[in-house]
Amino acid sequence: MAIQWQDYPADKTWDELICPSGRARKGVTGLKRMLGALDDDELKERKYAAELAIRSMGITFTVYSGEQSGTIDREWPFDIIPRLILKTEWDHITKGLIQRVKALNCFIDDIYHQQRILKDGLIPRAYIEKSNDFRPECMDISPTHDTWAHVCGSDLVRDDDGKLYVLEDNLRVPSGVSYMLENREVMKRVFPELFTTNVIHPVNDYPAELAKCLRSLNPNSTSAPQIAVLTPGIYNSAYFEHTYLANAMAAELVEGRDLEVGKDEYLYMRTIRGLVRVDVLYRRIDDTYLDPEVFNADSTLGVAGIMRAWRAGKVALANAPGCGVADDKVIYTYVPDIIQYYLNESPLLSNVPSYRCVEKQHRDFVLDNLDKLVVKPANESGGYGMLIGPKATRKERNQFAKQIRANPRNYMAQPMLNLSTAPTLIDTHAEPRHLDLRPFILSGASHYVSTGGLTRVAMRKGSIVVNSSQGGGSKDTWVIDT
Amino acid sequence: MSSRTLSTTASRTYWLGRYLERAGSITRLVSVNANLLMDLPTKLQLGWLPLVEILANQDTYQTLYVSPNSHEKSVTRFLLSDTRNPGSLISVLTYARENARTLRGTLPRAAYEHINDAHLYAQESIQEPLSRTRRSNALQHVVERLQHIDGFLSATMLHDASWQFLRLGNFIERADMTTRIIDLRSSNLLSAQSTLAPFSDIQWRSILNSLDAMQGYFISRQNPINQRDVLEFLLKNSELPRSLLRCFSTIRNCLRSLPRNTEPLKLINRMRQQLQRARVRNLENEKLHRYVGARQKQLSTLHQKITHTYFPDA
Repeated sequence: MAIQWQDYPADKTWDELICPSGRARKGVTGLKRMLGALDDDELKERKYAAELAIRSMGITFTVYSGEQSGTIDREWPFDIIPRLILKTEWDHITKGLIQRVKALNCFIDDIYHQQRILKDGLIPRAYIEKSNDFRPECMDISPTHDTWAHVCGSDLVRDDDGKLYVLEDNLRVPSGVSYMLENREVMKRVFPELFTTNVIHPVNDYPAELAKCLRSLNPNSTSAPQIAVLTPGIYNSAYFEHTYLANAMAAELVEGRDLEVGKDEYLYMRTIRGLVRVDVLYRRIDDTYLDPEVFNADSTLGVAGIMRAWRAGKVALANAPGCGVADDKVIYTYVPDIIQYYLNESPLLSNVPSYRCVEKQHRDFVLDNLDKLVVKPANESGGYGMLIGPKATRKERNQFAKQIRANPRNYMAQPMLNLSTAPTLIDTHAEPRHLDLRPFILSGASHYVSTGGLTRVAMRKGSIVVNSSQGGGSKDTWVIDT
Repeated sequence: MSSRTLSTTASRTYWLGRYLERAGSITRLVSVNANLLMDLPTKLQLGWLPLVEILANQDTYQTLYVSPNSHEKSVTRFLLSDTRNPGSLISVLTYARENARTLRGTLPRAAYEHINDAHLYAQESIQEPLSRTRRSNALQHVVERLQHIDGFLSATMLHDASWQFLRLGNFIERADMTTRIIDLRSSNLLSAQSTLAPFSDIQWRSILNSLDAMQGYFISRQNPINQRDVLEFLLKNSELPRSLLRCFSTIRNCLRSLPRNTEPLKLINRMRQQLQRARVRNLENEKLHRYVGARQKQLSTLHQKITHTYFPDA
């Protein structure tokens, strides 16, 4: 029966491709017509072609299975119907993201130097000092360009009324960009004809831009800095991405045991030629595993002495340790103020209205309205540890209320957004599925925003959990001219 | 060539090379032995135990299989599918797969899939109970898959430093296996005076077969199979892919294109020259055993020098 667009329910939530009236949104007409013209067999064929491409390109992600081997590699779940964004809207988003990341970098730099924002009383000092991701070890360090968060992945969502919000900023070790790049490659194999009839902006300049950004951080006087990507190893869920980016940038992929800090406090990697200096390290492991001399003494993933090397200005670390202080979900609630404070500008992109459980008035409201709110822990990622009030049982809500009362600093709450949807191929027809968007913002000598980003989609009907570790899939994201 | 190959990458590719080569040797030896036994009179109790001596630890075997009913069944199981034996085909393929998994940034993307596939195939098809026909078929397929991996890597991988380490692993393992096979097979060869002398040939034939050298022998020699010519051929022929000299030459070429090669290169050059000058035709019994043993010692020293130079901590 193929895709019957007249049966597609686009009036329930904001849909990215289809208006409530059932007509295609601007720029989507061609895609809608083309998909509608495919019969069941053709749809299955395209879907199969995508699966085949994913398998033969080896696009996998690792999930923790709890079996004896601990992890399994799964093929990347992918929906063949793309998500579209108009170039005009994207230009605005790009400006807003750069503004946001600039302000966040000012904030981090301030926190590790004068702490003006605390002295001026805009943010209570205790919020910073009790943050799990504030690192006193980073005080008074001045990274190149005063920039700390070089790679940021911000999650964007659209609510019922079509308004776009920033849901969170991932400043520690954001992942997903390789899937954005691979989704496009798969799409080109599956629907080559669409790329000749539409003006779809390419995404594949990202690795070159990342390399450029990393090179601009070079602290040493060498014209061609040695860049390395530090991975925790093959059992990490993003290992595929680590190898992908290292290859695409012609950088070395290293693990902690490949590195050592010399007596001269430079960072070296052990090669068949002996020690070779590393100038810029794109590290994909958390702060606390980075240096057993300073943080977790049991860590075998990091490099002893690397914090000394960084402090001495002999190696650049991206992202800089301590960045996570701005990734805290309670600090998130202050981002509009942070933008105003450091840049003296009004935010171009909105925050989701949020409640800080640490403040009594907010907390009382949250506890009274748990059945309407989403409550998130301050420092978790991957969608773990949160309560989706409207979907939780009374028992789960009561349990969570206890946790909030016990440790209010650790929680913030937001109204449950009815995330926008896009048509997603289920069997051989299209159904709306909720989604978000993670663009990647690079900050070095200059700024760069990926073209579009990674669209993650909750494959289960009605679900708003888009994380790949919890059954989410993804779509190619097209920024198009009209 | 990249000067920046990490020591751990070099070490992993080197061991991947050794494991893949060893998997091939195990498979070939088991099939050849099965063939050999069919040609020998049963009163010649050569049986299966010599394979344990070539390929694994005899103590491990005897601890695991106390007075087995049939050495054929227990030895083949021990050598092929027994995960308790670190030298079994399945164990070696598991190590190869694990190494390949960590090398996904270095090897071509599909290499891991091919190696994984060989491992899965062996796991599924070499399971007890295993009839002789099924075993023989399965082993044939394993050999083909390994050859496929070999060819795939050669045709798709950059021939850079990592490739040289893969080949070093291949050929050091191969050289070692060639000496082991010659050593063991010759030590229990039938003496020429025995009434069973006619079967002595068959044993040399099986040596040639274990080393994929039968056809090569007949192409390059006119003589019928005899001990002296076979020995000369397996040790000193410069064209036979598994001859000791050929292995040494390949190892030398690999080392030549690597940095910091002074120490290991000096040793392999000496080993190669000694072999070229050696008169091996007339070596017999104890003398042959000693000669081959000395080559194995040299190979082990070479392995240590390579490890020490390129991946001391890996």
